[in-house]
Amino acid sequence: MNEALLSGKNVIVQGITGAHGSFHALAMAAAGTNVVAGTSPGKAGQTVGTIPVYDSIKAIQADMRVDSTVIFVPAPFAKAAMLEAIDAEVPLIVCITEGVPLHDMLHISQRLQKSKSRLIGPNCPGIILPGLTKLGIIPAAMALPGTVGIVSRSGTLTYEAMSALSARGIGQKYVIGIGGDPVSGTSFVDCLELLQNDAAVDRIVLIGEIGGTSEYDAADFVARHVTKPVFAYVTGHHAPAGVQLGHAGAILGSEKESAAAKTEYLAKNGAVTATNLVALMNEIT
Amino acid sequence: MKLLEYEAKGVLAKDGVPIPKGALAQDDPAFLPAVLKSQVPTGGRGKAGGIVIAKTAEEYGNALAKLKTLEVKGYVPRSILAEELLGIKTELYLSLLVDKNARAITVMAHRHGGVEVEDNDEGSYFTLILPARPDFDAAGQQLADYYDLPDKTFVLQDLLQKIHGAFIRNDALLIEINPLVVTHDGDIVAGDCKMELDDAAAFRHPEWAFETGKAEVNFVTLDQNGDVATIANGAGLAMATVDAVADAGMRPANFLDIGGGANEASVLAAFERLVTYPNLKVIIINIFAGITRCDEVAKAIVTASEKLPGLPALSVRLAGTNYEQAADILQRAGMTIQPSLELAIKRAKQETR
Repeated sequence: MNEALLSGKNVIVQGITGAHGSFHALAMAAAGTNVVAGTSPGKAGQTVGTIPVYDSIKAIQADMRVDSTVIFVPAPFAKAAMLEAIDAEVPLIVCITEGVPLHDMLHISQRLQKSKSRLIGPNCPGIILPGLTKLGIIPAAMALPGTVGIVSRSGTLTYEAMSALSARGIGQKYVIGIGGDPVSGTSFVDCLELLQNDAAVDRIVLIGEIGGTSEYDAADFVARHVTKPVFAYVTGHHAPAGVQLGHAGAILGSEKESAAAKTEYLAKNGAVTATNLVALMNEIT
Repeated sequence: MKLLEYEAKGVLAKDGVPIPKGALAQDDPAFLPAVLKSQVPTGGRGKAGGIVIAKTAEEYGNALAKLKTLEVKGYVPRSILAEELLGIKTELYLSLLVDKNARAITVMAHRHGGVEVEDNDEGSYFTLILPARPDFDAAGQQLADYYDLPDKTFVLQDLLQKIHGAFIRNDALLIEINPLVVTHDGDIVAGDCKMELDDAAAFRHPEWAFETGKAEVNFVTLDQNGDVATIANGAGLAMATVDAVADAGMRPANFLDIGGGANEASVLAAFERLVTYPNLKVIIINIFAGITRCDEVAKAIVTASEKLPGLPALSVRLAGTNYEQAADILQRAGMTIQPSLELAIKRAKQETR
C-alpha cells in the first residue's frame, strides 16, 4: 500500500444510483475526487450529476481505466460487488457497506490473497487524503491538510479524532478507517507500514476498539518497525464482557480483548496512550 | 445470535449429526427415565441445578415444576428439554469456529469434554484450520488419532463433514459440542450443543425463527445507578463518550449508539429509556454528523424534550454538517450547544456536582 494507490485517480462508485451511493458520489466529487463513473445493473446510460452510470465494471473498463472503486451496495449484494471488482483487477476497493456476513468475508479474504486488489473495509468510512482526495464518507470539511496519519477501526470516532486535531491546527496527510468487522481487507499493520514509509508523515494516531487482537499486531509492529511517534487510544474501557456494543467486531470475549489490556500492551511497545480521546488529543502538540 | 440447546440440536439433526432422542418436555413424560434440561442461554447450567434426571413419573413432575421457575445465572427458561439418558463411556469436546486471524473455519477438540472450555487444563487442544474445500477423510483421521479412537475413524470423518455442512449452511460463527458423548454401545452423540449464528446473514435465512431472536446491540445498560446517560452515533464514538464520562469521575449509566438516523422518534425513545435510571442527573448527547445533519438532530432534541417534561439536564455536543443552524435552533429553545466532547463533559460535570 502506498500513496499512489490511495490517491484514487480514476474512481468509480458501485451502487451509484442508491441513496447513499448517489449522495456520496457527489460529495466525493465535491471534495476533489476524480469520480469518473458508477455502476448500477440495468441503469446504464443514466447519470448521477454529471457522472455516467454503467451496468458493470467491465463496461466502464471498455471506455476508461479504473484505479479505485467505492462500494455502497446493500449488504446482501456486497460479496458479489467485491468479487466483481476483484475479477476486474481494480487495484483499490473501498467497501463502505455495513453488515456483510462473516462467511462472505472469509470467501472474499481467500480470493484477495491471489488477486491484484487491495480491499479496505467493509463497514468502514473509507479514506481521506485532505486537500487531495476522498474515497468514502469521511466529512471533508473537518479535514485539514498536514502531516499526521490517522488509522482507526471506528467510523464516527475517526471523524472525532480528525476534527479534534484540525481544531488544534494539526493537519493530516492520511485518515484511514479500516472498519470494525472481525474480518476485513486491510489491517492496522498494513496502514502503519504505509505511514512509517511515507516521509511526509511525522506522527501517527491509532484508534482501536475492544474485541479481536489486531491492536496487539499493531503494537508489535510499532515496537519493531515504527520510528515515528505513535499516539494510541483503544475505546471501550467500560464495556461489559460478552455483550456486543453496536457492531460485530466490538465484543469483549477474553480479558486480552479488553481496552485496558490492549492499551497497556501498546504503551509497553512505545505508543503514547490515554484512556479517553480528549486526553490523547491533549498529548499531541 | 446464540441458540438454545434444543434449537442448536435441531439444526445439527437436519444435517444428520446424531443427537439424543428427545423433545420439549410436556406435562406427562413421553419416556422414562428422562433427563430434564433447562433451556437457558448461558453455561454452568448443570452446577446451578438446571439438569435433573427423572426415573419415575412422580420425579418427572416434580423436576419439571422446579426447573420451570429455577433461575440460572439470571435466566428463567421458557422451555425444558426432555432427553433419553445416555450410557456415557467417554465425554469429548469438539467445536467448529471462525478463526479471525487465519480467516478460516477451524476445528478444536479436546479429549476431556463435559467441563467449560476455560476450566479445561488437562493437556492441550487439538486445532485444525480447514481450507475452503476440506479433506474430511484426512481431518477425521487426525481427529481419531488425537482422541485415540482408531475404531471410530469412519464415524468421525462422517461427523466432521456433517457438522461442517451445518456450519456453512447456517452461517454459523460457532458450533460447540460439549460433551461429544461416546456411549457404552459405541455410538457418538452430541450431548450438548452451543451454537451461534451470524445475525448479519439473517437476510438469506427466512427459516430462522428462534426463541432468543436478534440481540439488542445498540443499547446496553452499564450501571443502573449511574448518574450520566449517553447518546452517541457510531459504536466507537458511543464507547469513547462513555470512557470520557468515566475518566471525568462520573458514573456512565449506559452505552447507546443511535446510528445514522437520529430523528425525533429515536431521540424520544432514547430519552424514555434513560429517564428510568434512578440517579440520573444529566444526559450527554454526542453526535458527529457525517450522513446525519446537525440541524435535524437539534430539532429532534428540542421536540423530544418538549414531549417529555421532567428530563434531567442535557449536555448537547453536535459536530459536522449544518452545525451553525443547529446551534441556532438549540439557542432559541434555551439550550446551548457544546462545540467539543471536552466541553460537553465539563458541562455534565457541573450538573453532577
